[in-house]
Amino acid sequence: MKRYGEHRFPGRLFVVEGIDGSGKSTQLMLLHQWLKSEGYGVVFSEWNSSMVVKDTTKRGKKKKLLTPATFCLIHATDFADRMERNIIPLLKAGAIVLCDRYIYTAFARDIARGLDPAWVRELYSFAVKPTGAFYFRVPLEVSITRLHAARSGFKFYEAGLDLGMTEDPDESFRMFQGRILEEYEKIVPEFGLNVIDATLPIETQQEQMRELVISKLERAKQLRVAP
Amino acid sequence: MKETNGVVLPAMELSDLVGKLIVIEGTDGVGRSTQIALLKEWLEQKGHAVLDTGLSRSGLVGKGIKRAKEGHTLGRITLTLFYGTDFADRLEHEIVPALRAGFVVLTDRYIYSLIARAIVRGLDPLWVRSVYAFALKPDAVFYLRIGVDELIPRVVFSRGFDYWESGMDVYTTEDMYESFRRYQTSLLEQFDKLADEYKFKVIDAAPEPRKIFEKLRAGITRVLEGESHRPALEVAPPSTVSSGPAATSGSVINILPEPSSAAPEKLRETAAGSPGPIEELKL
Repeated sequence: MKRYGEHRFPGRLFVVEGIDGSGKSTQLMLLHQWLKSEGYGVVFSEWNSSMVVKDTTKRGKKKKLLTPATFCLIHATDFADRMERNIIPLLKAGAIVLCDRYIYTAFARDIARGLDPAWVRELYSFAVKPTGAFYFRVPLEVSITRLHAARSGFKFYEAGLDLGMTEDPDESFRMFQGRILEEYEKIVPEFGLNVIDATLPIETQQEQMRELVISKLERAKQLRVAP
Repeated sequence: MKETNGVVLPAMELSDLVGKLIVIEGTDGVGRSTQIALLKEWLEQKGHAVLDTGLSRSGLVGKGIKRAKEGHTLGRITLTLFYGTDFADRLEHEIVPALRAGFVVLTDRYIYSLIARAIVRGLDPLWVRSVYAFALKPDAVFYLRIGVDELIPRVVFSRGFDYWESGMDVYTTEDMYESFRRYQTSLLEQFDKLADEYKFKVIDAAPEPRKIFEKLRAGITRVLEGESHRPALEVAPPSTVSSGPAATSGSVINILPEPSSAAPEKLRETAAGSPGPIEELKL
């Protein structure tokens, strides 16, 4: 088994990372639209997985059965399922695969929950290295303002309420996301993530993203499925 | 004090786990569950509270794994991690609380079966070991060892070949007998390596169940006596401490209450307090 191997498949893998409210999903959607319009065979790989693993994760969250360890392992299971049955076959088939969140989300989140950093990295070592990974850096206050405008209230695990830091969901979310931000800052240099300033205008961020993606698509004409 | 294989999970306090963690390992059809039922009865008669547990029995994942195996839908990395989740759930919610409460935890297989299965399926042995780095080190692992030639008739004449136990997901053959033979042979090779690495106490599982039970009972008695020494050693002068458990065991056993009158006639013939030398457990 290769460990974080550079894959030699004909496809390309691009991933976006960042805390909730960083705008990464919007940026990935815009990239998706553009790649499609350019005629590339592009697939958006969803976080959801086989029904079996998904049911277990859902049940665990609903009934609050998950500890930091089982939260970490069930998400690793889910990710492995996507990797084995979805991402790798797609890359072999020559697709451009786009992922909203990748292993770096797990690193940041699980380590923020107190798990051993080296162990979590080793756990995910079966993952292929992305062709390009983008980190949307945003100050905590900005992301929280955006989230408050868009939705009401945070979910139990999302807010890190399982850690029992405080009973106030908003306060817990803030503390938990703060820890996650710290972990992301360690991950960025370690794994060579491309940082995008997520406070810039949406168009500017997208231009930066496309510039890097284009450079990785050279010699990839075979990826085009339409003229 | 209990230790892990290198990684300690958040909020897992190891210092107060006073119970004993005893693992019965062995391949499919070797008779583990029969022995565990006998051991549980025996231990309870001796006055020990017993928790028996086994793979895929967690409240969180157990059913999910069973369903996934029915559909044969999961990849090998996914299945390994699914088992890891199940194991973590049982460790945190069953095994550790029971050890803290002073139970003898008897577990039908442990991480070793999971490691062996994953390696036979071609996964990186180092990665597989690291997945289970958070596992508690057991107080003893008894490995019921059997050769494939003795194993086959047991399986054929009891329940027949099972898809997973025959490794049908591993080999391309449609011949279940051939597949079972190859798969179990590879598993046994892995078990033999693990037995060296993790210092299993190896018990020949070919004889009748009664004989195996006697050996297990003797081995477990030793493990439990190790526990009983501790308070005595703590109050003893340093010279006694340095002489080690083997030298002091004779006198310490005598102060233990011996509830042998509660044991049924058939168990009383070998005194619970006089285990054979540990070498007897080896093949």
